[in-house]
Amino acid sequence: MLNSPGQLDSRIEIVTPENIAFQYVLAGPFRRLPAFLIDCAIRAVALLALFLFGTLTSIVGATGFGLGMALVVWFVLSWFYGGIFETLWNGQTPGKRLFNLRVLSLDGQPINALQAVLRNVLRDADALPIIGFSVEFGLPLYILGLTVMAANDRFQRLGDLAAGTIVVVEQRSKLRGLAAIAQQPEVIQFSQNLPVNAVISRALTSALAVYVTRRELFSAPRRWEIARTLAEPLCQRFGLPADTNPDLLLCTLYYRTFIADRPASEERAGIALPELAKAGEA
Amino acid sequence: MKVSQLLERRREQWRDLELLCQELEDRRIRKMGGEAVSRFAALYRAACADLALADAYRLPPDTVQYLHHLVGRSHNQLYRSQLFRWREWAHELFDVLPKRLLHDRVLWLAFAIFWGIFGLSLMLAYSSRSYVVELLGESTLAHLQESFAKPIVGRDPNASGAMAGFYVIHNAGIGLRCFAAGLLLGIGGLFATVFNAVQIGAIFGYMLTVSERDNFLNFVTAHGPFELTAVVLSAAAGMRLGFSLVATGGMTRMAALQAASTQAVPTMGAAVVLFCLAAMIEGFLSPSSAPYEVKAAVAILSAALLVFYIVGLGIRRD
Repeated sequence: MLNSPGQLDSRIEIVTPENIAFQYVLAGPFRRLPAFLIDCAIRAVALLALFLFGTLTSIVGATGFGLGMALVVWFVLSWFYGGIFETLWNGQTPGKRLFNLRVLSLDGQPINALQAVLRNVLRDADALPIIGFSVEFGLPLYILGLTVMAANDRFQRLGDLAAGTIVVVEQRSKLRGLAAIAQQPEVIQFSQNLPVNAVISRALTSALAVYVTRRELFSAPRRWEIARTLAEPLCQRFGLPADTNPDLLLCTLYYRTFIADRPASEERAGIALPELAKAGEA
Repeated sequence: MKVSQLLERRREQWRDLELLCQELEDRRIRKMGGEAVSRFAALYRAACADLALADAYRLPPDTVQYLHHLVGRSHNQLYRSQLFRWREWAHELFDVLPKRLLHDRVLWLAFAIFWGIFGLSLMLAYSSRSYVVELLGESTLAHLQESFAKPIVGRDPNASGAMAGFYVIHNAGIGLRCFAAGLLLGIGGLFATVFNAVQIGAIFGYMLTVSERDNFLNFVTAHGPFELTAVVLSAAAGMRLGFSLVATGGMTRMAALQAASTQAVPTMGAAVVLFCLAAMIEGFLSPSSAPYEVKAAVAILSAALLVFYIVGLGIRRD
């Protein structure tokens, strides 16, 4: 699936210094909105706290200085919140961290302080138009930023374009083992019927794996229907009777490919698996 | 070798890498110790190798997907953003930036536009009252005159603190907004510069004609040089961004914008520093009862500092 060039959009491939190419999913506006709202909420709470602090200090008697401090802190928060967090937290604000987003440079490297500050200060241009009675207390519509995001293929807003940054999703997935269905006795038994040289191509291997890991979602007749497309030509190739259960055939092939011993011919083809695995452990 | 065996063998290490990633993400690097960190690096390299060979291993697609995620996640923990490097920033501020400012044609353009229009507006306002009324409206004028009606005798120092904070958030906010607006093909910055110059010029011109003149001058003199220079700097920084989209100098527009922004950010940083300095003066010295001579001296000193910074530091050769 990932070896195919089929996935055109919202993926970015990064080549690391280790010369490994891996892919990130780019975060579009809908992924970024929740993180943005969380950051807004955090700042709103901070503003409230600052307001309380300012009022309390003026009640206590140190009028003004507390308020002045609160205003300066509010200035820093409102303009440099994102810049400071993204520098200190390796491209994440609290909202982004919560939703597993991260800001990276275009080439996949971490961002520096300059990029972090720039992309957040320029947020003001992205926020246009701002409705309401003044620029400070209006509701930002972000129409400009959304338009720019939609117009380029990396979901960059103006600030991202100027700073040369992208926002990616740091996905996590659980490592799932091989499909358990393939361990069933009838599969192993059926495996005897397959010719020894029943080897299938790489592309077919991944299609097979996708089918077998998802087959449990389907009812038996539906499985039959899906598997038949692939099983019929395979039956002809391997010289199996035409009434072979297509689902069983695919499961067996899966078993043969991933679990049973490889045919000797393939080992000779130069895929020296044991050594490579050891190299990884070093 | 079966895929199932391979997975069984590697699974343990991938899990370990996942756990170490989690610890790093929770910023427990100090507690982890050197051994765990170097183990993390080794495991990362191993996972990279597995990913590179996934095709040869014939790993199932969902495992490959998992490896992509795992490697991506670890990559971001291994390669981290650089923290604020103060020494480099000081070098940028005192060596690189003055030179750049002195030779920045956009800055001198913004400077000329601002002061040219400021002077024009001031003269118009000085000679014709109807111009000012047209521009600012009667109520604003009345409000202006009223706020400078009383001579400046100093005020509660506590109130000065609050006002200084207010000036930081208000003025530096305007500057940053002006910078961001410059991104829109430079028009935003140009518009903001002209708008500020016309308005401030008109206020100056008008206040020179009325009886509250002395109080007004007494208030604005001390912080004027820093604040007006900061306005010009932030407009210039914004225009540099915007113009780079138009005059790309042979690069693609995006490359030109990115190159310009590396230059514009330090300029904007200097503007924010100036805004903060101006706010301190405006909050504490300007409304104080200090004699006019002191305020004028501060104004002259700050103007001289600015000239020294841009011309004096900028003209040096390495």
